[in-house]
Amino acid sequence: MTLQNYSDVLRHLKMKSINSIIFLLLGLIGSVFSQTGKIQLSITPTFGVNALHVTDAGFQTNDSSILQITELKFYISKIQFLKNGKVVIEEMNSFHLVDAANEKPFSVSIDNKQNIPFDELRINLGIDSATNVSGAMGGDLDPTKGMYWTWQSGFINFKLEGKCNVCQTRNKEFTFHLGGYQQPFYALQMLSFPLKNTNQINLIVDAKKILHQIDLEKINQIMSPSHEAVLLSKVVADAITVSEK
Amino acid sequence: MKIKFYIFSLLCFAIVAFRSADDALLIVPSNFPKPVYEFSKNPLSENKIQLGRALFYDPILSRNNMISCASCHSQFSAFTHVDHALSHGIEDKIGFRNSPAIMNLAWQKTFMRDGAVNHLDVQALSPISNPVEMDMNISQVVSRLQGSKLYPKLFYKAFGDSIVTGEHTLKAISQFMLTLVSCNSKYDSVIRKQSVFSEQENNGYKLFRKNCSSCHTEPLFTNDDFRNNGLTVDTTLKDYGRYRVTNNPSDSLLFKVPTLRNIEFSYPYMHDGRFKKLSQVLNHYTDGIEKTKTLSSELQNSIQLTSNEKIDIVAFLLTLSDKSFLFNPNYFYPKEKVSRAAKDY
Repeated sequence: MTLQNYSDVLRHLKMKSINSIIFLLLGLIGSVFSQTGKIQLSITPTFGVNALHVTDAGFQTNDSSILQITELKFYISKIQFLKNGKVVIEEMNSFHLVDAANEKPFSVSIDNKQNIPFDELRINLGIDSATNVSGAMGGDLDPTKGMYWTWQSGFINFKLEGKCNVCQTRNKEFTFHLGGYQQPFYALQMLSFPLKNTNQINLIVDAKKILHQIDLEKINQIMSPSHEAVLLSKVVADAITVSEK
Repeated sequence: MKIKFYIFSLLCFAIVAFRSADDALLIVPSNFPKPVYEFSKNPLSENKIQLGRALFYDPILSRNNMISCASCHSQFSAFTHVDHALSHGIEDKIGFRNSPAIMNLAWQKTFMRDGAVNHLDVQALSPISNPVEMDMNISQVVSRLQGSKLYPKLFYKAFGDSIVTGEHTLKAISQFMLTLVSCNSKYDSVIRKQSVFSEQENNGYKLFRKNCSSCHTEPLFTNDDFRNNGLTVDTTLKDYGRYRVTNNPSDSLLFKVPTLRNIEFSYPYMHDGRFKKLSQVLNHYTDGIEKTKTLSSELQNSIQLTSNEKIDIVAFLLTLSDKSFLFNPNYFYPKEKVSRAAKDY
């Protein structure tokens, strides 16, 4: 754009400032909405510091013993935000399946229209007992999602499969299907994370951290509710960390 | 006047004889307790029942399109698999257990011989996925149904959505199974004072109440619980029943107490179908109990019955046969209705 004369310069400056004001206002409105309207909770599966995306060929690691991740799927449920230990925001019908094979990373928006302050996130890893005995359900809980046992009722809370060079199994495979809704094998894990009241929260689920806590030479196949499934569910819970933006 | 009186009496009888369940399409017999199935979560509708009926009889649920639910649950045998100790499924593969008879499921809390299934709506997942029964998975079933000409229409009629889902598939199968109510045996008519037992049946009934009814509780003839009834473990199967589900040693050798309704037609008996005749079952209870740690408290003291008393008990058990259930046209293979529904839509 070439400026012909003084009035053109003035007009241009005027236009620019109006545009700037509009952009500023839009930005402000946007930021107000992002601050007040919604809380964005995302979940990022990782293998160490690398994002973990399972393709049809699996996820190839750079690890010396764990060679490949072929499946990482799990349920999160009952998302709650608390202030001083009291629940102030709660997602209704809160059941989500996180699948590392999905192209789009997992993210969910939770309404917080009144900008209620909070200082803690609580979330379940898995599906609670009551839901486990409530029959067939839809959405992420539909049994077609591959997260429901068939020989025995119950949701699989957490699935992690892959290959490891210390596993003395067929094709060096390890298979962890963790679940169980009845005591003494109730595998659901209640997680809690202190927060700084930011509206963009990311949970990191580190498969490397999980697998390095397990003696894969000895424990490489858990596919039913058991004491081991409960112990391993705790290992998974400990490998989940939070980051805020 | 007389006619009016009869109509009034008939109406009174109808009200006394049957009371409505939570769901209008399920009639709860007056001598039955309240169903345990939560109909509010899956309200019965004629279209859903008919969809479930079509699915129940359709081998599309199996990998090779050869095995339907009805293959192991035939109506004439009280919806079980007669003639085989262990039921056989796809490609004549032999299963692990004798298939249970299906009836009065709205009153049942757990399913399968070991109670591995905790809700009727998810029961069908087990045979669909079992490699010796149907050898499919529910995702494959859903995509097959979606790709068929008939089913998207039936799903639309039933659920207002032609998209087939696992939830809707399973709930429709439940709906049909919930309608399989057996409540019109001679026993029921005696209880409703419409009929009387013969002397032999009556004696059998008294003996039954004394020796059997603590587990085979009236009117469903099961307490819907698990018991070790003293069977010797079959070493070829090593089936420890409920222990397989709970891993609790106190559940070792416990199996679901089956209903005795229509037992005349649901042979062979026991979880592994080891007895072909009712007389063998009674002989087991008098002479064959194996005492193990988990043996049912009801069987700690041996049951004493003479040969004649056993015959009388069998005579009573035959009064539990319900021909109106075994030959109810609403439960038949739904060929006409399915093809009509396909044309209508």
